[in-house]
Formats: sequence, C-alpha cells, structure tokens
Amino acid sequence: MSLAFDILLAVGIVIIAATALTTRDRITSVAGFVVIGLLVALSWVRLGAPDVALAEAAIGAGLTGALLLRSAGRLKPATRTTLSPSYRIIAALIATGLAGALVWVVYTLQGNSLYPALVSERLLESGVTNPVTAVLLNFRAFDTLLEIAVLFVALILIRIVAPPPPQPVATGELMLPFARIVVPMCAFLAGHLLWQGASEPGGAFQAGALLAGAMLVLILGGFAMPTPRLMYWANMIALSGLAVFALAALGTEALTGKLLLYPNGTAKIWILVIEAALTLSIAATLCLLFCGMPRRPLK
Amino acid sequence: MTDALYIVGQFLMAFGVSFLLIAALGIWRLPDVMSRLHVLTKADTAGLTLIALGAACVTGRLDTLLALGLCIVLVAVSGATIGHLIGRAHLAKADVE
Repeated sequence: MSLAFDILLAVGIVIIAATALTTRDRITSVAGFVVIGLLVALSWVRLGAPDVALAEAAIGAGLTGALLLRSAGRLKPATRTTLSPSYRIIAALIATGLAGALVWVVYTLQGNSLYPALVSERLLESGVTNPVTAVLLNFRAFDTLLEIAVLFVALILIRIVAPPPPQPVATGELMLPFARIVVPMCAFLAGHLLWQGASEPGGAFQAGALLAGAMLVLILGGFAMPTPRLMYWANMIALSGLAVFALAALGTEALTGKLLLYPNGTAKIWILVIEAALTLSIAATLCLLFCGMPRRPLK
Repeated sequence: MTDALYIVGQFLMAFGVSFLLIAALGIWRLPDVMSRLHVLTKADTAGLTLIALGAACVTGRLDTLLALGLCIVLVAVSGATIGHLIGRAHLAKADVE
C-alpha cells in the first residue's frame, strides 16, 4: 500500500516538473514549482526526515514560491527561445549522468550511513535530544555559521539590485479577519517550533520562515507599511543573526580554545540563544528578500 | 470503544476523500473561474476537515485532535480568504476587459 503511494508520489513529482518546465505561462510554472515543493516535502516525510520536510514546505515551497511569483509579475513576457540541439544533448547527458551517479551511490550505500551511530553515541553531550539540531548547532555548527553567512550575501545582493517595494493593492474585507487569526497563530507556532527544535523536528529555519510568512501577510494586506524606519530595523535584525553567531564562535574560542566548542554543561543555553537570534534574523532576511530595500538617492 | 472509534475514523476519512475527488472532478469539468472556485473552496475545506477528524479518531488521542484541529482552522480560514481574493481579482480583471 505504501509502496503504491511512494510510486505515485515519485511519478507525480516528475510529471509536475515536466509541466512546470514546458508550460508557456510563468504563473502556471510557479504554481507547478510550489506543488513540487509540497510533494517533495511529503517525500521527505516518507524518507523519515521531518526536519527537512518542514524546511522544504516552509522555505522551498512557500517563500521561494512567493519570491518567484513576485519576480514573475515584474519580468517582461517570455519570448520564445529555442535552444540549439547540441545544448539539449549536453543538458540531457549531464542530467542522466547525475541521476545515474545518485542511483549508484544510493544502491552501494544500501541505506547505511556512518552518521546516525556517531551522533547517537555523543548525543548526551550535545545539550539537545534532537539529533538534527545536535548536528546543526553543535557537532557541525561551523557549517551552519557559513549558511547564515550565505543568507547575508543574498541580502547584500538584494540591496545592490534594489527592486522596488511591493505596492499595496486593495485586498477586500476578508484580509483583516484572516490576518487577525493567522498572524498571531504563526507567531505562536514559530515560538513552538523554535523551542521544540531541541527535542523534536523544528528549529530556527522553520520558525523563521513562519514568522516571515506572517510578516508578508501584514505587508501584502497593507497593514504594515514598509517605511524606511521599519526597513532600517528589519536590516538590523537581519544582520544580528550572523553577528550573534560570530560572537558566539569568538566567545567559545576564548572560553574553551576551540571554535564553537561550548563550555561543559552549558551547550543548551548557547544553542538556544543562537537559535533565537537566528530565528528573528532569518525571518527578517526572508522578508527583506521579498520586499527589497528602498534605493538610497544618489548623491 | 477504540475499535468503534477506529471504524468511525475510517468512514470519516473515506467520506473526506470522496469530497476531494468531487472537487477535483469539478475543477476539471466546470467551465469558468467562478464555478471552479465555488467547488474548490467548499469541497476542499469539507474534505480536509473530514480527513483530519477521521485521522484524529483513528489515533484516538486528544493531543493529535488538538494539532489536527489547528490544521482545520488554518485551512478553513486561508481557503475562504484565498477564494475571496481570487474571486476579487477575477472580477477586477473582467471589469478591465
């Protein structure tokens, strides 16, 4: 029964991917992309990775979909471009090679990985009981620090490109009651996800994406104007994540002599402070990615 | 007791799935945006609510019911609002043309 479901899921993803790539209409393409994101999230659940599923649904499908929709509206209508056959053949060869390599890797590994045993052996020392959070913010915290730096670079790029902020449009009578229910609920659930990340699936990225979604409801509904003052603070909050993380790295270096090696017994507090700062920072960054930043007048 | 709850849950889920199937059929067969919206917003919310209630019955636990209840509220509220927004956008576009 579940095999039939898995096959249906895999075939569905491929069919929708093909539809999204071949359709002429951009909005339809983006809708296909969002549906693929949700189905991929479902397949992460089937693979036993609910953390990744949450992140894929919130960031991959939700916020990236919103970003693409906004870009689709601003681009000129698509012109018909035909690729030369040689390009098509090269692309097909690369895609087939990549897929073949993936299949080969999965088959040779037989689902065995070294990580679970290594992680569970030292999980007690990490300060949290969710192995994913233990890896992301303790064992491999350096990688996460670099990921946050990537978000920072994305923010700088948006600042350089400086798209105009979204214009508020009339959204009708239902938007206010909708925002009144959904925005507090999102804030509440973001706090829940952040706290839950220590023991169960959840964490800064998922919580930050939810908060960003709530902010977008406020901005698109016309309830929160992206004024320069608000943008200034959003910028500050967005930058604070990387700052707090880098300060924590320097602090642990000073205290224990190793980068991001937390002092004995205090790992949970370090992780919570970093994750709380990251949640706010990720929410602000995602929001700014969507809204863009006002262009300063040239002097 | 648990067995009875399990059977009730299965029935509710089957009923919910049939709602979603009818909604899919409606979107496929109906001619224009408004009638498709009409099918989508109602059958979608009803179908998901029934499936979530059925799932809560099958697990038979109160904490699952709470989480699934939250899902029902979110889907009901966003379904209605999105239906309204799409309808508005469609009318505005029809006025322009």
